[in-house]
Amino acid sequence: MLLPQAAHAQKKKKPKGQTTAAPAPAPASADADAPAPGAAGAPASADADADATGKPADASAPAAGAAPAGGDQGGMDICQITPDAPQCTAAKEINFGEEAKKKVHAEVYAVQQQYVMKAHRFEIQPYWAFTLNDQFVSHPGPGMALNYYITQVMAVGVNGTWYGGLNGDSDFNFQNRRAARIAVPLNQYQFSGDVNFTYVPMYGKFAGFGDFIFNWDSFLEGGVGVIRTEPIAVIDPDNRKFDWNTLVNFDIGLGFRIFFTRWLAATLEVRDIMFFDKLENLQIGDTSAPASSPTSAYNPATWTDPNSHLTNDVQLQVGLSMFLPTSFEYRLPK
Amino acid sequence: MKRRFVSTVLAAVVAAGVASTSRAASAQELQVTGPLKGAPAVRGLRLHREGRFELAPTMSFTLLDQYRRTILFGARLNYNITDWIAVGVWGAFGAISTSTYMTDQIDSVAPRDALTATNVNHTGTYPNFGKAPFADQVAKMQYVAAAQATFTPFRGKLAIFNKIFVDTDFYASAGGALVGIQERADCGGGAGQPSCADPNSFQLASKTKVAPTFALGFTFFPGDWWSLGIEYRALPFSWNRGGFDSRGAGTNGNFPDQKIDSQDDTFDFNQMVTISVGFFFPTKPRISE
Repeated sequence: MLLPQAAHAQKKKKPKGQTTAAPAPAPASADADAPAPGAAGAPASADADADATGKPADASAPAAGAAPAGGDQGGMDICQITPDAPQCTAAKEINFGEEAKKKVHAEVYAVQQQYVMKAHRFEIQPYWAFTLNDQFVSHPGPGMALNYYITQVMAVGVNGTWYGGLNGDSDFNFQNRRAARIAVPLNQYQFSGDVNFTYVPMYGKFAGFGDFIFNWDSFLEGGVGVIRTEPIAVIDPDNRKFDWNTLVNFDIGLGFRIFFTRWLAATLEVRDIMFFDKLENLQIGDTSAPASSPTSAYNPATWTDPNSHLTNDVQLQVGLSMFLPTSFEYRLPK
Repeated sequence: MKRRFVSTVLAAVVAAGVASTSRAASAQELQVTGPLKGAPAVRGLRLHREGRFELAPTMSFTLLDQYRRTILFGARLNYNITDWIAVGVWGAFGAISTSTYMTDQIDSVAPRDALTATNVNHTGTYPNFGKAPFADQVAKMQYVAAAQATFTPFRGKLAIFNKIFVDTDFYASAGGALVGIQERADCGGGAGQPSCADPNSFQLASKTKVAPTFALGFTFFPGDWWSLGIEYRALPFSWNRGGFDSRGAGTNGNFPDQKIDSQDDTFDFNQMVTISVGFFFPTKPRISE
């Protein structure tokens, strides 16, 4: 509200010791306390005493921004039209000398007021996961994340993905087996679930076609949980029938969220679920030994590789993000 | 009575239409007479692209390779007609290629015998087969030359920890590409072609594939005249990456036919990620109003 006045004051050079006050009214009014207006276009100035009283130079004069006496007659100012406009009356109560001495909080944020306040809100995030790094077996599936934002940038939550019945053994495996007479141990997944911390270090807004603006943020998350996997019998499918293994996993993710409204957003996230998987044993046991034998091909103890293998299941998650409650109030005005 | 009812309904509909139309117009008038009337969504925008050429050396890494990874070095040249439309070319050659773990495993594990004679590189003849590198028969991507249009719908700035700010845009490119590859030469088809069990049939031959290409990427502008970019690109086409005889006979041609030819090509998305450093000319961007 005071920006036009400040700008006006800066444009005019003042003798040292004088401070800027409201310029004289367009038709200079008779006021003994006020110095006579100067030449046309020169703003009225108040002396130090006038400032010290805290009173404006001319209590009855329209406030700063009014055309200087005898000045630009072509310009029209809001205070000439409506002298009781807030910016005109407010200036009467402001001592510019005192205001200038105040400490200025110079920090200006790139985004002054965030579009969405997340603190103390729940986030429900349904998504669909696609496998990014496994050309042997794909593990797509639906998932859901539930987060609670403790602060604007920090959340705790859980997420889970269901893969059961959706794993896809690629044609590439079959072609390799048939052509080169070798088999690659394959695993399918049933579900994964993790407890996560989420941190939102980046946010901002983008302009679309230079015409509309949309808000976004980006988040990092990490956590720990479990994943259930099961080898697909490809080395000795006649004898081996596997059960699900429940394994501890660690997950990290990087996500991007575009807000449609203050409670609805689209999300895109890349998540790496890391765990030590149990794979099918490449060696087939002794087919002539009874199942009770520790080396028998029929003994389940010989079916899995004795070593666990670090596995990275990198998945792309595409979904929606809904914040509850759907509305919020800013702590400070814009 | 019926006519009167119809007249009444019609009159009501017309009246409602007029009333609703006038309300909408009124609301619109109020909206455009404010102090921001006619103002653009963003003022003082640095138009990093409009009217400028971009020359960007690129480095591309292929993704999800089954038998061979390739690193391509190249360059992109774009002319940005507006801030969101550009036309240009991208070219790259496969400077570095390495075999995958899968290739190494096949090489060390796959038997060299009569059952694999047409599919796995070997020396000698039946029954005295010897080992030859499997990596020598897997296909290579040699170069890519693409013409493309780039669409940059979104731009803004990125704030990291409220400390680092950089102008950023998001773009999508689409076009056509010529892809130079080397894959196992045709064999077993007669007309002077060797038998596919012949060790000499595991040679690679150069071919050119025509493919669509599309890309999605982010460009970051730390300065007025240069940028950093990261891009995902796909070049979907079919090729015989393993050098296997996998199709051509039986039901729907789904069984091996002892020949290597175009029927053995399998579709792949051929994905890659590209990093780039862009240089813009003229070096000063225009600033919007």
